[in-house]
Amino acid sequence: MGAVTFDEVTKKFGDVVAVDRFSVRIEDGEFMVLLGPSGCGKSTALRMIAGLEEVSGGILSIGERVVNNVAARDRDIAMVFQSYALYPHMTVAKNIESPLAANRKVRLPAAERATRVAEAAEILGLTDYLGRKPGELSGGQRQRVALARAIVRRPEVFLMDEPLSNLDAKLRTQTRLELVDLHRRLGTTFVYVTHDQVEAMTMADRIVVINEGRIQQVGAPQAVYESPANLFVATFIGSPPMNLISGKVSASAGGSVEVTTDAGTVTSTCSASLSKGADVVVGIRPEHLSLSETTSSGKGLRAKVENIELLGHERHVICSAAGSKIVFRQANDAAPVALGQEVTLDAEPDGTHLFDPTSTQRLN
Amino acid sequence: MATDKPITNPEFPGTDSAETASANAGTPTVESAQGKAVVASDLRPPKKSARHYLGLTGSYLLLTSLSVVILFPIYMLILRAVSSPLAYISAGQPLHPVDIQWDVFKVAFVDANLGRAMGLSFVVTMIIVTAQLVTATLAAYAFAFLEFPFKNVFFGLIVGTLLLPIEVTLIANVETIRRIGMLNSVQGLTLPFLATAVGIFLIRQGFLGIPSEIRDASNLDGYGHFRFMFKVALPMSKPIVGSFIVISFLGAWNQYVWPRFATDRQKWQTVQVALKTIGSENPERLNLSFAAAIVAALPLLVLLIFFQRQIVRGLTAGAVKG
Amino acid sequence: MSDIPTTSTEATAGSPDAPAMPVPLGKGVRRFGRRLSDSALAYLLLLPSLIVFGVFAYYPLYRLFWYATHHQSRFRNRPATYVGFSQIRDTLTGTDFKDGLLHSGLFMVYTVPLGLILGILLAVSAHRRLKGIKIFQTIFSSTVASSVAVASVVFLTLVNAEIGYFRDVSWLSLKNPTSALFAVSLSAVWQNLGLTFIVVLAALQTVPDELIEAATLDGYGAIRRFFKITVPTISPALLFLAIVLVVFALQAYAQIEILTGGGPSGGTETLLFKIADPSGVRSLGEKASLSLGLFVLTAVVAGAQFGIMSKRVHYGD
Repeated sequence: MGAVTFDEVTKKFGDVVAVDRFSVRIEDGEFMVLLGPSGCGKSTALRMIAGLEEVSGGILSIGERVVNNVAARDRDIAMVFQSYALYPHMTVAKNIESPLAANRKVRLPAAERATRVAEAAEILGLTDYLGRKPGELSGGQRQRVALARAIVRRPEVFLMDEPLSNLDAKLRTQTRLELVDLHRRLGTTFVYVTHDQVEAMTMADRIVVINEGRIQQVGAPQAVYESPANLFVATFIGSPPMNLISGKVSASAGGSVEVTTDAGTVTSTCSASLSKGADVVVGIRPEHLSLSETTSSGKGLRAKVENIELLGHERHVICSAAGSKIVFRQANDAAPVALGQEVTLDAEPDGTHLFDPTSTQRLN
Repeated sequence: MATDKPITNPEFPGTDSAETASANAGTPTVESAQGKAVVASDLRPPKKSARHYLGLTGSYLLLTSLSVVILFPIYMLILRAVSSPLAYISAGQPLHPVDIQWDVFKVAFVDANLGRAMGLSFVVTMIIVTAQLVTATLAAYAFAFLEFPFKNVFFGLIVGTLLLPIEVTLIANVETIRRIGMLNSVQGLTLPFLATAVGIFLIRQGFLGIPSEIRDASNLDGYGHFRFMFKVALPMSKPIVGSFIVISFLGAWNQYVWPRFATDRQKWQTVQVALKTIGSENPERLNLSFAAAIVAALPLLVLLIFFQRQIVRGLTAGAVKG
Repeated sequence: MSDIPTTSTEATAGSPDAPAMPVPLGKGVRRFGRRLSDSALAYLLLLPSLIVFGVFAYYPLYRLFWYATHHQSRFRNRPATYVGFSQIRDTLTGTDFKDGLLHSGLFMVYTVPLGLILGILLAVSAHRRLKGIKIFQTIFSSTVASSVAVASVVFLTLVNAEIGYFRDVSWLSLKNPTSALFAVSLSAVWQNLGLTFIVVLAALQTVPDELIEAATLDGYGAIRRFFKITVPTISPALLFLAIVLVVFALQAYAQIEILTGGGPSGGTETLLFKIADPSGVRSLGEKASLSLGLFVLTAVVAGAQFGIMSKRVHYGD
């Protein structure tokens, strides 16, 4: 079936390692998003699944079949490209039919092809445009033609390379929902590459976070958000990003660790016991910080308000705390703070993450 | 000098033809027509008209006189072709035709060699254009889409042929053709031109313009190399291929040096070579040469009218890209 | 329905009992470029062109060297004898080559600057939005339809010593070697007007309107605008034309054969005319040596073209 398995898969371009020992199993029927900054290797990984790049090392399988040496056209996959890659000289119908007709040796009978094209066009609402050329369509329509060309193959795996990045913001939001809906209807594996964390969070069953050719973390969007595996994931996902402050462990006992930073002391829920005096990086998301009610407890982070961003439904308060920048969120109806005001911020222990400063890995 | 800024002129009345505008050199007729015709002229600075129309007249005068210079030789050709040679000379060689004989074209075709020469030229040109298109497309595909050892060496070999035009290799090639017994044959006339470096460069350029994602998509769709070439690459390079076909036709049809020396019998003369010999045995029959020249230029005139864009693109490909 | 990679090449496409997922697309068919290796396919695709170029461009070059380094009697039944480079040296330092070079050079001097200037004049005149400008543009490009041979026959009506309309104009006379060469060159200028016009006009159309408008606002007059902005912007096109016209001049043949036959007294014999001359005045070895001279000249021009074009002509920005 349409599971995709990377087993220590590596891709090198000359001396440059683009994909470094990827190991992950994308389950059949899953909507998997490969997320990372540009140049991180996510597109290369996708293109290896497609068969557009050869695998330099490791084993790549689709279903139970090792596809390292299987030609692209024989892999039972379909791909939607960033630029859509529609044939400008062919009509929409011909474009959609192309994967069924291109290879003369195995192509289906004309009647069967026509039925499938009509079906795919129907699903994507393109029936009225079948006679047009891509140049006569809007960006969103072109994008749907690209999708239709993919689904007409009825592949085991759909591959999508930043398919929404050429759409304007409004259309992108709408298409996101349509893609999720399409995935639900087809029940086929989707592998989707993007650098946009919002797309990843909203559409994915699971996310593979990638940086510098390596997998950083694999997990459901909420899990990745709530317990990032390392500092890269912690800062890459979430907007505004997680606040980071350096400190030392001052106490560790009974599932909780106390860390002293230059700005104050915070407590983190942590099952592991850390040696006292160890260096750690504390990470707290903006929504896990709140204005302290009692200023005298001696706990919390002391900070000075430097800027306030009003977003309508909430506020982002940007402070400086012992040289670090700290952002916290406030509901719109909360008592406003003033610029220059000294505040003390309490952190939720469950939302206080600890990372090893050298390995960058998560500690709790 | 004719360097004034291009005139944006919605106010120019559509009824005025080029001739009336230049003939009526700034007369009130033009101005009143202008005043009536266009409301938008009210918005323009009023001082424009006098100088403006003087300049306009100057422009048309210049354009017309340049046209006369260019067309005069053609006029003379037609004039001499249709005039009876002896009557024309005894009339003192005037600027108008004398004793018009329209059957000069018929005589050229039937009595002289023109019909056969035109036919041969068509055959030779078609073979050359078709073959060049095929060989250039194949080679361009290799250079644009395939990786292979010594690619640069082969590319260099093809660039190198630009240093070896037929004029340079003429005598050696004539010897080759003579040795293999192809003097006076269609093979001899066409063989050296069945491939062309310029065509390879042009079509390769077109192929390289195809986005890499289209190539990836074709790969996934299952196109083989040849089907990709014909169903995707060539159709997507249509403008360049069209330009190439037109300039290839132009070059093949207009050839002179090679057909002149790859043949030594009149029977095998292409129309360009035949132009002179058709009338040259007898100076009194020179009107046949002139008629033949008109006929020889006709196919290209048709080409120029219907494929102007392709010709311009083909001729300027080297200049604009650099 | 997992596919085993080693299944036979019999495709199961469209088999009626597997309607759910009947898409073993391309199964058993190797991919894009794998049927043959890419390299083998590439060589196959290049083969036709390479054969033509090998037989009719590179082999002749070798033959030219061979002929030039051998002395061949006019009577072809005698075997040729190897003479080393002496024949090449003698030919390329002899008066015949120098004369040919001089005539070809003069032809160049007469055709290239005049052709460029007239081309620019035509293009600038026709580069404006005027009623009926299309007609003028068509007229100006019309000589593209004329071949060298046609243009030469056209010029017979103008400069032929007996029947030419300008037979009495001394500076166009075919009876005098100097004026004859100029008259012949004029036919080439006329024939190439269409090409130069088209290329310059296309270049002019790439000059951005804003550039001209900005210059106008800066207070540049029409003439200064033309030389400071238009000419630099179209300089790559002008350079291209200059090179093309130089090459045409080097390869001039038909005009001379049709209009003057090389005369009077050899005064219009260009390099190629001497090479091609079938009269038998020159031996094959001498002609080959002249051809090598022409080859070097062609190579120099083409080399200059490559050098300049690859650097491009920079203009301002």
